[in-house]
Amino acid sequence: MSLQRGCSRSLSPRTTAVSASVFEDFKACISEEASCQTISEINLKPVEKQHEAIRNVFSVLCSRAEHVSNFVDAESIFGPDSRLVYKHFATLYFVLIFDSSENELAMLDLIQVFVETLDKCFRNVCELDIVFNYSKIHAILDEIIFGGQVLETSSTEVMKAVEEITKLEAASNAINLVSKSVSNWRSR
Amino acid sequence: MALSGMRGLSVFISDIRNCQNKEQERLRVDKELGNIRTRFKNEKALTPYEKKKYVWKMLYIYMLGYDVDFGHMEAVSLISAPKYPEKQVGYIVTSSLLNENHDFLRLAINTVRNDIIGRNETFQCLALTMVGNIGGREFAESLAPDVQKLLISSSCRPLVRKKAALCLLRLYRKNPDVVNVDGWADRMAQLLDERDLGVLTSSMSLLVALVSNNHEAYWSCLPKCVKILERLARNQDIPQEYTYYGIPSPWLQVKTMRALQYFPTVEDPNTRRSLFEVLQRILMGTDVVKNVNKNNASHAVLFEALALVMHLDAEKEMMTQCVSLLGKFISVREPNIRYLGLENMTRMLMVTDVQDIIKKHQAQIITSLKDPDISIRRRALDLLYGMCDISNAKDIVEELLQYLKTAEFAMREELSLKAAILAEKFAPDLSWYVDVILQLIDKAGDFVSDDIWFRVVQFVTNNEDLQPYAAAKAREYLDKPAIHETMVKVSAYILGEFGHLIARRPGCSPKELFNLIHEKLPTVSTYTVSILLSTYAKILMHSHPPDPELQNQIWSIFKKYESSIEVEIQQRAVEYYALSRKGEALMDILAEMPKFPERQSALIKKAEDTEVDTAEQSAIKLRAQQQAQTSNALVVQDQRPANGAPPLSVGQLNLVKMPSMSSNVDDYPADPRLSQENGALATVNSQPPPADILSDLLGPLAIEGPPSSSVHPQPSPTSELEGTAVESTAIVPAGVQANSVQPIGNISERFQALCVKDSGVLYEDPYIQIGVKAEWRAHHGHMVLFLGNKNTAPLVSVQAIMLPPTHLKMELSLVPETIPPRAQVQCPLEVINLRPSRDVSVLDFSYKFGNDMVNVKLRLPAVLNKFLQPISISAEEFFPQWRSLPGPPLKLQEVVRGVRPLPLIEMANLFNSFHVTVCPGLDPNPNNLVASTTFYSESTRAMLCLIRIETDPADRTQLRMTVASGDPTVTFELKEFIKEQLIIIPTATRVLTQPPPPTPPVVQPTSAPAAPTDPGALLAALL
Repeated sequence: MSLQRGCSRSLSPRTTAVSASVFEDFKACISEEASCQTISEINLKPVEKQHEAIRNVFSVLCSRAEHVSNFVDAESIFGPDSRLVYKHFATLYFVLIFDSSENELAMLDLIQVFVETLDKCFRNVCELDIVFNYSKIHAILDEIIFGGQVLETSSTEVMKAVEEITKLEAASNAINLVSKSVSNWRSR
Repeated sequence: MALSGMRGLSVFISDIRNCQNKEQERLRVDKELGNIRTRFKNEKALTPYEKKKYVWKMLYIYMLGYDVDFGHMEAVSLISAPKYPEKQVGYIVTSSLLNENHDFLRLAINTVRNDIIGRNETFQCLALTMVGNIGGREFAESLAPDVQKLLISSSCRPLVRKKAALCLLRLYRKNPDVVNVDGWADRMAQLLDERDLGVLTSSMSLLVALVSNNHEAYWSCLPKCVKILERLARNQDIPQEYTYYGIPSPWLQVKTMRALQYFPTVEDPNTRRSLFEVLQRILMGTDVVKNVNKNNASHAVLFEALALVMHLDAEKEMMTQCVSLLGKFISVREPNIRYLGLENMTRMLMVTDVQDIIKKHQAQIITSLKDPDISIRRRALDLLYGMCDISNAKDIVEELLQYLKTAEFAMREELSLKAAILAEKFAPDLSWYVDVILQLIDKAGDFVSDDIWFRVVQFVTNNEDLQPYAAAKAREYLDKPAIHETMVKVSAYILGEFGHLIARRPGCSPKELFNLIHEKLPTVSTYTVSILLSTYAKILMHSHPPDPELQNQIWSIFKKYESSIEVEIQQRAVEYYALSRKGEALMDILAEMPKFPERQSALIKKAEDTEVDTAEQSAIKLRAQQQAQTSNALVVQDQRPANGAPPLSVGQLNLVKMPSMSSNVDDYPADPRLSQENGALATVNSQPPPADILSDLLGPLAIEGPPSSSVHPQPSPTSELEGTAVESTAIVPAGVQANSVQPIGNISERFQALCVKDSGVLYEDPYIQIGVKAEWRAHHGHMVLFLGNKNTAPLVSVQAIMLPPTHLKMELSLVPETIPPRAQVQCPLEVINLRPSRDVSVLDFSYKFGNDMVNVKLRLPAVLNKFLQPISISAEEFFPQWRSLPGPPLKLQEVVRGVRPLPLIEMANLFNSFHVTVCPGLDPNPNNLVASTTFYSESTRAMLCLIRIETDPADRTQLRMTVASGDPTVTFELKEFIKEQLIIIPTATRVLTQPPPPTPPVVQPTSAPAAPTDPGALLAALL
């Protein structure tokens, strides 16, 4: 239900974790309450909770061998009915947290979409791209995950939307010097 | 290519990254925050670019984990900026930094709404994104209709519409009562005709949420979902960008099948047929390929299809196909698919009757228990646990025990619990069960909870055939050089009870058993020492013919522990020593433990309970519950010096309780004459045998006279108060006159005194004194009742039953059945105030001394003013509050007559004693009093209350009182409470200084602040 956004942060000098967690609603009312509670806790104390959670996740992931499954029991960290899927690329871990209302493999695919989009964006994405362009990572994530739900699954479409924003920014940065019109992008 | 190329930001980030340690980083961050703060002070001078840069820096600092407690207003105000970059930054920062309850969000609602209904699509997207990410109630109230319009608007681009769909979903999920979805069925059906797959995916998510809430309204969407699925599965008309590794939008396929799982069934035969064709195609047409991503995507669809087939409960044929597919999956190389294969098999177990087919894969599943990936091992354990039945229990439990040796610590606890449950549930014979549990304790003693060994002792005690076997097994384990303490406990217990059954076997003579057990004594905890002492006493009794050397040895041990610092051990040592010197009489007293009443295993019960909660029961959760309960019981334990009786209110939790460290041997004193009398007493007591067998098990040996009388003649804990109340009166034997004992002191005055102080005597008579000590914090209270026996003989049949009014939640820990001579027993009582109310709780207390049955009903000083906390308030705070509460029902005024004339200063003291702070100088009129206080309850939380008293100097018997608070009930109850205090003669202040003379209880109807509806209050009035 809530997307803990943009936790792109150095966890160790060599490793960065990009984590976006998706909490979903539950079928039963009781569980929904529980889920909301978790979220509001995270919302109320975002700083401590998020970082503690990220540290926990990171320590779990670091200890995992190569060529094992991409699923990890996350209930001890994120509460009941939470699932964790991660993907590991060189020094980068991509983590998605969600609940039983989502399909695990589909979430794994979503990570792949995110990574492919980053790749298109930065041409062979590396850790530094993510660290220094976290505002752009925000923009991309916003186009893929929205309010804890999958918004777009086509990396082409995501790229289109992101490029649109980039152009707009470039245009408006130039506006100060050139023109006050914002409408040129709308004719697209 | 970088989004904006903000150089300052990049420099800052590299500075942070170059910091050698946390301290440097903090310094750098503090410097930057200072910089940003000064820059923002002169906001006008900032260019949009600079604003953006600083705000991104703030966001970065925030993500590093630092508090950013300023700039929120700036961020919110940026939303209303006319230009894109500022607006964008405003939206992003607002949605990252502020949560849904933040006050500033209210300021932004209008701007957000203007952006949503405006014609600028980029602004619409920004606004929708923020609303979707925050999803607050006020947003839902004011924006939901506009978002709905955007979703169905034909003029909007897909980019906006898909965001609108998810935004609406988020608002609906967070505030289902606010977002009106009536009549949405038709619109949803229309939306499902959408050609754009992006919009369709989002709409499908929305549909899943709507259908999960109320599938009835959305039947019309069902055939459309099947159509979409067909279109995708046949790959008709799917744009290239939505084909992921050759698979047409796996996400949409998965979502659509999810939506279908919320409909109970598919009735229309044509739709059903098309759906099954699609499912068949997916089940048959998916293969494991080389490309990992393609594999993942195709199997995502496949597993969802499996779930849908399970849900639709298709013909057996398709189910079999599913199971064989899953069987294939759990042996493939790809770990993700193995993982999901196992998980889905577990799920399948619960849905349908396919256990026999799954059993064919048992060997493979057991292999998965050795998988290098812990995630897979966990799933395998879950599956093995789920598929276990009487036919394969032996194999599976053996495997689990094998695995226990190599399993990581994280899993051992869960493993041992599951093994214990399975062994008990499906034991083909009981000796096997004993074997398993003993192995379990041997291999993973640290992870074996007490319930597990309690349970095996119960089994052995109740099955005579098993006793020699268990004793021999226990004897074997004692030979091992280093054994776990739990093993010492269980072996000592079993050998004490049943060691004599194997006395003729080599190496099992009483002396040898004693030596074996005694070897362990130096290494064990005090609790185990007390078990060992009991074992020694039993061994001594069973040694025929008596072995003087053994006897001397054991006596010297008893002698040694007679001065133990642990009361429990000391008591046992003294008593066993005295008992064992009685010779033949010992046999009668140290008889074998009686059988335990048959009852459901606490382990299994808990496992079942958890299974009801969540389909996949997790032993970790189970364990957490246990721990919570155990610690609970421990608290109880600490404060209960005299008995091992179960707590009154915990019911099923008993089994988890830590063993009682205390002894109830006092009930059965060493003197045979007294113990005779005691037996007689037990027959008078026609109560049912104790429900809590564990306290039997954990108490010292069963030292009884007549075997029919139970060790603890404690009434079984009854959850219903009435039941208990009836029982408590039922035990008054005919001919015994109740309440022939006169209390010392005035009960009512004592109560009044305790209303204004937190410790004191609640009740006293020639035999007993009941003291109270309380601590109050907000709406919680912690009271301790001190029950002191003033006599040289025990008080028996002690019962204390709480009759709490509805607004209080009270939990009285157990009260011992017997209070030993001259002993004081402490009984903690937890109080939670749920709602404001003046009703009073009553303690129904009874005990028996000789022939006197005493029963008193005592009001407990958990009264309204205990939940008040003094607060002193200044004029600047008082008057705005006072004015903001306009009149009834929040502000009530009443002219009170018949007031006890009090000088103003004394009235002020009285108020202060009730935690109502008089604020002098607030009211210009010297004859008036203004006071304030804070009331705490669970429903109201902290509630500020304001009081004004206007007195008439000419007539002190009347006054005008005004009470105000933010809650009508609080206002009313507080007003009535104060009125009561003013009208009645509050003896409280007097009692504080001089104790009242001993008088019989006086009925003071006026003093009972009781509503006639409340049973507790009625009882109070009867006093």
